[in-house]
Amino acid sequence: MDRESRDMLLETADRFFTERCGRAVVNDVEKGVWPADLWREIEEMGLPLVAVPEDKGGAGGTLADMLALLRLAGSHAVPVPLAETALANLLTAAAGGAPKPGPATLALGNLALNGGRVSGKVERVPFAAVSERFVGVIGGALVVVAAGNAKIDAKPNHAGEPYGTVAFDNAVTEFNGASPVSADRAFELAAVMRAMQMAGAADKVLATAVEYCKQRVQFGRPISTFQAIQHMLAELASCVAATIAAAEAAARDADEGGLVDGGRFSIAAAKSQASEFAQRIAAISHQSMGAMGFTHEHILHHYTRRLWVWRRDFGSETFWGDKIGAAYAKAGPDALWASLSASRYAA
Amino acid sequence: MSIPKLEFPPFHLPAEAEALRGEVRTFLKEVLPTVRSEDRFASWNTFSPDFSKALGKKGWIGITWPKQYGGSERSFLDRYVITEELLGNSAPAGAHWVADRQSGPLLLRFGNEEQRAAILPRITAGECYFSIGMSEPDSGSDLASVRTRAEPVPGGFRVNGTKVWTSGAHRNHYCIALVRTSGQHGDRHKGLSQLLVDLKTPGVTIRPIINLAGRHDWNEVTFNDAFIPESCLIGNEGDGWLQVTSELAFERSGPERFMQNFYILRELVRVLGRQPAKRASSVLGRLVARLWSLRQMSVAVAGMMQGGKSPAIEAALVKDLGTIYQQDLPEIARAIVESDATTDDDLADFLDVAQYATMMAPSYTIQGGTTQVLRGIVARGLGLR
Repeated sequence: MDRESRDMLLETADRFFTERCGRAVVNDVEKGVWPADLWREIEEMGLPLVAVPEDKGGAGGTLADMLALLRLAGSHAVPVPLAETALANLLTAAAGGAPKPGPATLALGNLALNGGRVSGKVERVPFAAVSERFVGVIGGALVVVAAGNAKIDAKPNHAGEPYGTVAFDNAVTEFNGASPVSADRAFELAAVMRAMQMAGAADKVLATAVEYCKQRVQFGRPISTFQAIQHMLAELASCVAATIAAAEAAARDADEGGLVDGGRFSIAAAKSQASEFAQRIAAISHQSMGAMGFTHEHILHHYTRRLWVWRRDFGSETFWGDKIGAAYAKAGPDALWASLSASRYAA
Repeated sequence: MSIPKLEFPPFHLPAEAEALRGEVRTFLKEVLPTVRSEDRFASWNTFSPDFSKALGKKGWIGITWPKQYGGSERSFLDRYVITEELLGNSAPAGAHWVADRQSGPLLLRFGNEEQRAAILPRITAGECYFSIGMSEPDSGSDLASVRTRAEPVPGGFRVNGTKVWTSGAHRNHYCIALVRTSGQHGDRHKGLSQLLVDLKTPGVTIRPIINLAGRHDWNEVTFNDAFIPESCLIGNEGDGWLQVTSELAFERSGPERFMQNFYILRELVRVLGRQPAKRASSVLGRLVARLWSLRQMSVAVAGMMQGGKSPAIEAALVKDLGTIYQQDLPEIARAIVESDATTDDDLADFLDVAQYATMMAPSYTIQGGTTQVLRGIVARGLGLR
């Protein structure tokens, strides 16, 4: 997708999310209502097929195009599995399959494939309770299992999204092809996807807090004029900036290095960074907005609660920190700078 | 919503810069083994004329400057890579640091031809070192309140006043002093000028100010009826404020704002051994990830500057976050090493090094614009003031 097409897509999607994905929709999802109209319109716009080739009915975008769209979706708390479906569709198409309509998600975990049937259990599967199919990678195979052939134990996450545990017991697949990526790689791609959503959410938190503090009057003046508040918001901006810079660099490296193994270290570092700063971003924004930001009525929690959930999705800072730390320790002190400056696990 | 978007467009350092990186590494591999480890830990605070001259001989000081002054007319990004390599390999680069980073560029931009011809070739040769003459006993963050006065007299200025925290003045050749050349103390930004001061000038007295770590980096520089010739005025009389703020911009978002104590991270890798427990490896990895993120931010800012933009807010964010990282690093590292060092000897050595880093840490969030000054700049950028 050229620069102009991507900008156009992002502008259109931004307008659409602003109009159709407001507070009521996000709150309804938390109450267990599936926003069928929103999903239908998202499909009509072709968003879940953003990175599927044109000859398979997609928009022919790159991984980078998809990640840019998902950062935007993160800044609107889009409460449907757009990210998961877009990545599932990208992988399915790359495995030679034809993505089907309907919400899908990623079941990435310890699964086994025997005689073409899938067994095993994956916990904390995003949108498990509303997805029509699950995409997993087992050894060299990419499998798609219809929701009807899985046992789903719904367990909403702390942002009220319909996550859950998914169990397969000799489940038949609706597609089984040679996977373009390893299971570990699928997990990495999901991690950079979440990091970009976190960048979007972080950006929105900053804008929300800044706007609020400029409006809120106490002691006869907007609280944004108090130096204590200014310095809090400046620190918030630094945490948000780091999250954005890290996620964008990882997205670039993943895209440029190719689907199979591009940006492996950058993804790990970016997800670690985003996950680590999520708490500081939430803490400062809530402190700056006082009781108002702590209410369910305000939208701030749409973003801070997602940051708290997303920091654990597809690897927390502890998980990715361990991957990086183990590799760097193994390579030893003299390799440290060469590896870090090359954005690699080992130079 | 109307707040400016924070963007750090990912930027690749160009192939020429990466090729230069390889050359710098090869050079450092040759010269660094003979440098004492405590001098390497202090890196850009270590005064080593031998090292600076060797670097100058390679053409790596003032690399962006015109060839007539000994520069190579290479890009700002080439300089960025040299800076990274000096810090990443803990090179003793303190002697020429300020001259290369800000004094030389200032002379290039505002100085006259006589000044440039006399001084820049000596800087690029690694032979001429500079101090910064901005702060005074009563003027720190509020720089416009400087009191040092340069009174016009026939042929030049008679200077009286005191500068403090003047790093390296006891061994450097020059100091660029911000002084009042006209008007009154309360005139703030008006009437300030910059003077090129030879630190051997009669009437200039240099007295050490020892820091809490016992190091003599700082000095107090007193001007007592010191005569500075007119030819040493930098730029126009009265333009000092404009010039000094552009000089500060050189100081802000470079790798020295997050890699000053990089050796702590390297020592941490050493003492944790090749197979640390998961608890230790995840702490190490998180520290690496934070540093990597800072580097992405800093490189993005460099890319924006190369593209002709002036990302002042983004640069301030890099320094704020980077200096706090440098304060966190020895503390986080110490805590995990106490439980996870592979041997007792390693533990003792590391704690020694970490203690030094901890003592130096308060300076990071003070020099080159305090955290509070930076946050004021960011707050203005966010439209809060």
